[in-house]
Amino acid sequence: MKKVLEVVGLTVDLELPAGTLQAVQNVSFSVEQGETLSLVGESGCGKSLTALAIMNLLPPSGHFSAAKMEFMGESLLGVNESGMSRVRGNKMAMIFQEPMTSLNPCYTIGNQLEEAYLQHRHAPDREARDRAVYLLEKVGITAAASRLNQYPHQLSGGLRQRVMIAMGLMCGPALIIADEPTTALDVTIQAQILALLHALQKEFNMGLILITHDLGVVARMADRVAVMYCGQVVETGLAAEIFNNPKHPYTRGLMDCIPVPGKVEPGQKLGSIPGIVPTPIGNLHGCLFRNRCQYFQPKCAAENIPLIEQGPGRAVRCISEQINT
Amino acid sequence: METQTVLETRDVTKTYMVSAGVMKTKKPLHAVSGVSLSVEKGSVLGLVGESGCGKSTMAKMILGLENVTSGEIILGGQLLSSFSAKEIARRVQPIFQDPYASLNPRKSIGSIISLPLRALKVGSPKDLNRKIDEIMEVVGLPPRTKHNYPNQLSGGQRQRVAVARALIMRPEVVLCDEPTSALDVSVQAQILNLLMDLRREFGLTYVLISHDLAVVEHLATKVAVMYLGRIVEEAQTRDLFKRPRHPYTQALLLSVLTPEPHLGLPETHLGIAYPNPIDPPPGCTFHPRCPFAEDICKKQAPVPAGEGGHMVECHFPRG
Repeated sequence: MKKVLEVVGLTVDLELPAGTLQAVQNVSFSVEQGETLSLVGESGCGKSLTALAIMNLLPPSGHFSAAKMEFMGESLLGVNESGMSRVRGNKMAMIFQEPMTSLNPCYTIGNQLEEAYLQHRHAPDREARDRAVYLLEKVGITAAASRLNQYPHQLSGGLRQRVMIAMGLMCGPALIIADEPTTALDVTIQAQILALLHALQKEFNMGLILITHDLGVVARMADRVAVMYCGQVVETGLAAEIFNNPKHPYTRGLMDCIPVPGKVEPGQKLGSIPGIVPTPIGNLHGCLFRNRCQYFQPKCAAENIPLIEQGPGRAVRCISEQINT
Repeated sequence: METQTVLETRDVTKTYMVSAGVMKTKKPLHAVSGVSLSVEKGSVLGLVGESGCGKSTMAKMILGLENVTSGEIILGGQLLSSFSAKEIARRVQPIFQDPYASLNPRKSIGSIISLPLRALKVGSPKDLNRKIDEIMEVVGLPPRTKHNYPNQLSGGQRQRVAVARALIMRPEVVLCDEPTSALDVSVQAQILNLLMDLRREFGLTYVLISHDLAVVEHLATKVAVMYLGRIVEEAQTRDLFKRPRHPYTQALLLSVLTPEPHLGLPETHLGIAYPNPIDPPPGCTFHPRCPFAEDICKKQAPVPAGEGGHMVECHFPRG
């Protein structure tokens, strides 16, 4: 399998009035063709900023550095803005959470679908239009040709998200970054959109980075998972391993928090993670989860905890012996 | 033990007149049609359905924010419409979805929590302070946050403030509209635990509106499934989740993505389109999306049927 994206040692800092927020710290991962990698974690864990850094779309207060960031064999480091805009929306596409706000209400969806294609391919209008119709049909929209003249407000939320997916696919991307693609949708629509994304990914052999806080979505979609906490990857591995045998106390805590029909007795007290997420400003040392961890021991505070290999492709950022029981 | 019905809706209908375009006559939109529900004291009624199914309109009517077009809502044995707005507020209190939007950013936490008391002129200022302290302890807010402002609190703490504000009047019914959908997973668990504890402790009655079936199964004692303004299935929670009979309920349950990686993505056969409520399909409104629809479904609307408290509105119920 060919690697589509490889990131080593990605660090994102945000300059805030209160100091430098170390939003992403030394994060490494890779995505192969046809593979789904899920970045999962709660708000503020750095999962979205990781995606924005890859696309070089960080807010003005943010900047990133990395030891390696290779997309389809070419380094993205030091590529200037015009170079990046040749990549974005072309071979690397992004699908955002809110189809409501990420479509321009003033332009027809045809217009918005064709824009990237015309921009990147310098193709005739006719070709762009055909491609748009083809993809709208691919994403399950009926009467595709007539939809091209509609405005976003004329479509339902589920349809808008389908349009967003079609838009991402216009230039035949090798990698799709989907940031909470179904969070704003109803459960039934969510299942359909995810199934669609999955089918298209397999058909076009694309890499997919799925960013979400929803463990259910992760479990059903991901091949591999990286659990993020406070800017760090705390556990990574195959989805089946992570869900059947979570090791990091944070991952375990998350799993205990969700009511699972058939597993958790209704009305039974749910697990919870005590305390709150620390803000990663200033001198960070030791395990960032230690204040909330039931396995805390003095050495957790003393040293920086590395990701410790637990097998092929499996690593956990924890030094407690308890995690292997 | 005799059960006491706190809240009852009888054949409640809400129709909005919506404009179909410039120069066109307005058309009726039946947001809620013929909904009859009852909520016993100390129970939790879960109301589930997709957006646009009318669950939030139900909430507004129960809160007295919208009038019913026909039918009646009965609260504690009396017609809701016979109460003044303040009286309704004393008896029914809401907890909304987004604690970032539902708290006034310019008021201190103490002031937000005590607003219901002040609005209804209950108790002296001294009483007020004591009651604030009491309720903050009940919902697990540290006393020092009393003089803080919402932006100084985390999402979970904010939702605790919303819970405290709803409970300070000891209402008969607490209406939770998607109480945890805006929260992170670990915070969601804390709030769900809090809601369950409070119910046990104070014998609270909840109406829980949610699209998250896992949350509904966890909290609710009875579940009503809404589709296009109608209750299509209603049963005790355990019964409904074990033996869903309406094809729509089955599809909803199938769509719940539990964290079980071996299951993969569900195939719901629902089709894309949620019908336009201005122009609902004839017969059974679910028939265009139903894999089991037959001719009769296109012509004739099914009537509610079922036994043992398990009601289903379908010509060909499953199971």
